[in-house]
Amino acid sequence: MAVTSGVRLVNPRLGTYFGIFSAAFASLVLMALMLEQLGVSDMGVRLLMFAGPIALCGALGLLTPASDPNDYFACGRRVPAFFNGLVLAITALGGAGLMALTGAFFTVGFDALCLSLGISTGLVFMGVLLAPFLRKSGDYTVPSFLGRRFESRPLRIVAAAVLAVPLLLLLAAEARFAAYAAAWLTDQSEPIMAVAVVACACAMVFAGGMRSHTWSASAKAIAALAALAVPATIVALMVSNLPLPQMTHGNILRVITKMETARNLPYLAAPPLAFDVPAQGLEPLAKRFIQTFGSIGSMAFVLMALVATAGTAASPALLNRPGSTPGVHEARKSFGWAVMIAGVVFLTLPAIAIFLRQMLLDQVVGQPADRLPSWFQALQQVGVARVDPTGPTVSFINISFDRDAAWFALSYAAGFPQAMVYLSLAGGVAAALAALAASLLAGANILSEDIVHGLRAEPASNGARIGTARVALGGLTFAAGWLAVAAPADPLKLFLWSLTFSASAVFPVLILSVWWKRTTAWGAIAGMLTGLGVAVAAILLGEAGAWGLPGVLAGAVGLPAGFAAAVAVSVLSPKPGRNVVHILQEIRVPGGETLYDRELRLQRLKTRAVA
Amino acid sequence: MIEWSERKAYWRNTKMQMLTSLLPFLLVLIILPLYAEVLNDMRIFGIPLGYFLACHGLLIIAFVTVAVFVNRQDAIDHWHGAHEDI
Repeated sequence: MAVTSGVRLVNPRLGTYFGIFSAAFASLVLMALMLEQLGVSDMGVRLLMFAGPIALCGALGLLTPASDPNDYFACGRRVPAFFNGLVLAITALGGAGLMALTGAFFTVGFDALCLSLGISTGLVFMGVLLAPFLRKSGDYTVPSFLGRRFESRPLRIVAAAVLAVPLLLLLAAEARFAAYAAAWLTDQSEPIMAVAVVACACAMVFAGGMRSHTWSASAKAIAALAALAVPATIVALMVSNLPLPQMTHGNILRVITKMETARNLPYLAAPPLAFDVPAQGLEPLAKRFIQTFGSIGSMAFVLMALVATAGTAASPALLNRPGSTPGVHEARKSFGWAVMIAGVVFLTLPAIAIFLRQMLLDQVVGQPADRLPSWFQALQQVGVARVDPTGPTVSFINISFDRDAAWFALSYAAGFPQAMVYLSLAGGVAAALAALAASLLAGANILSEDIVHGLRAEPASNGARIGTARVALGGLTFAAGWLAVAAPADPLKLFLWSLTFSASAVFPVLILSVWWKRTTAWGAIAGMLTGLGVAVAAILLGEAGAWGLPGVLAGAVGLPAGFAAAVAVSVLSPKPGRNVVHILQEIRVPGGETLYDRELRLQRLKTRAVA
Repeated sequence: MIEWSERKAYWRNTKMQMLTSLLPFLLVLIILPLYAEVLNDMRIFGIPLGYFLACHGLLIIAFVTVAVFVNRQDAIDHWHGAHEDI
């Protein structure tokens, strides 16, 4: 009786290794703090905090090479649930979920919850609806899964092409976020740093593909979570004597609600479909924190939460993660960890936003325009905040703030040493790099496995598969570098578009392929193409202002259209054959041999018989 | 290894488990934020209730949903003999 996977050994020293990494990272930060106090030049501290974490994570990536496809594409199927969940969470969050979302909480308060709720719900949905079945099929990429499930090569090619759209958007968005933080950290221009971070991301996964990525992304996740938690915890201790920002920000919320009433902040009422999140760059602050639906309308709030749910559940950068766990049960469990880690982050982000808002309301608003606190002047010098006073004192609506800077601005406002600001920036770079590397790797694997090797009848040799995957990775790195420099749009918008595309083109077909036996290959192709086409049309109409639905909510029409097309064409096309139904029945049951492993075993038997 | 006759029952239980995990959660996700403004007049631990439920509450529900799902689905797998060999 064949077992589900060859190697089920989990490295027993993983905890030790990451303990050593955490200690090294902590000593790096402490060293930066000491060097700053000892009077080392500012540039030296900046470079230490930029190069140090990247060197540590990069070393983990370079020291874990892979020469076997099972290692290169699925990390040997031995990643324990916790580390898989850690990488899942940091990939789902990325730079968008940490930097831009903190800024969105800071600017529009309650309304930004639609994104954090959507992303965490998306992880729940993926864990329940898709992950166990992707793990059982054992395929390395989503198009291979669909191709096997429907025994259809055209579907595999179409799926690869369709998945490229959300992947490239995600690549561009995360590269821009990484470049933003890296440019601030190193005091260089953003395009130069965009090229540098994309090259770093490629180098970190080049040696061992998924194996390198799992190691280095776990380390990046630890660095990013530390960079998020440390300033927030210290500020929580300062303002409430309890080191739990996730719980104590409620009391500060009461304080800022009183302050906002005292300073007569306007009550805004957004139309139901308005989706007015702050754009990139300096944007005026307008809304009371706790007021609901002042910038994002009630309808748009619910739609955004649902689109983000479906988009995260079907995000191509996440879908290859379940395959690297030792089994179906571990794959399910890893989503529990992912939801927990993402949940703690999503409770910390509003805390940071509330602390910063309280300091702003307390120390800046109502002050004479020429006597602003020094931390606010420092922020003005960096170019992330601005005041356009219309009277003798600063009022709330005169302040403009850079959305992506809110997380980093907290360390300024609390009067921490500069090294703490650089710690947050290094965490931002790490988070965005993790998501960037995940999408680079997913894209390169689809390109090599499904486009290059998927077209050939003969299975490729191990060396050829890994070689092609590395060439594809190199090629995609150049494309990503170009995209990051050339893409003009706001990175948060690129991220939301990526969610919208995976929600409308990928989500319906993946769900139906597991949960509806009658789905046919033609139905799946029609569903993907219709979802993609409708989403493109809806985005164009929304961006042109031709109808009321904003472009980022295009998934709200794309998703039902994708479902409808897939169901309609499936019903009209002939019933799937017995073979295809049999494959689905195998995918639905956790026990037994992984489908991909069985195919490999049968191939080996065949070649042996021929010889 | 699962018996052929068990497959139908196994999939029926799995489907019911999926629906009982996701549907209540989805309903709360859609309905709760719409009433957050009303709930904000009440407070819990000093936090406005609507914000507390939408921010902390939903995340806790999400985690509990996955945890319960993993255990229940594992029980279903074992009951029908559909679990993994090792």
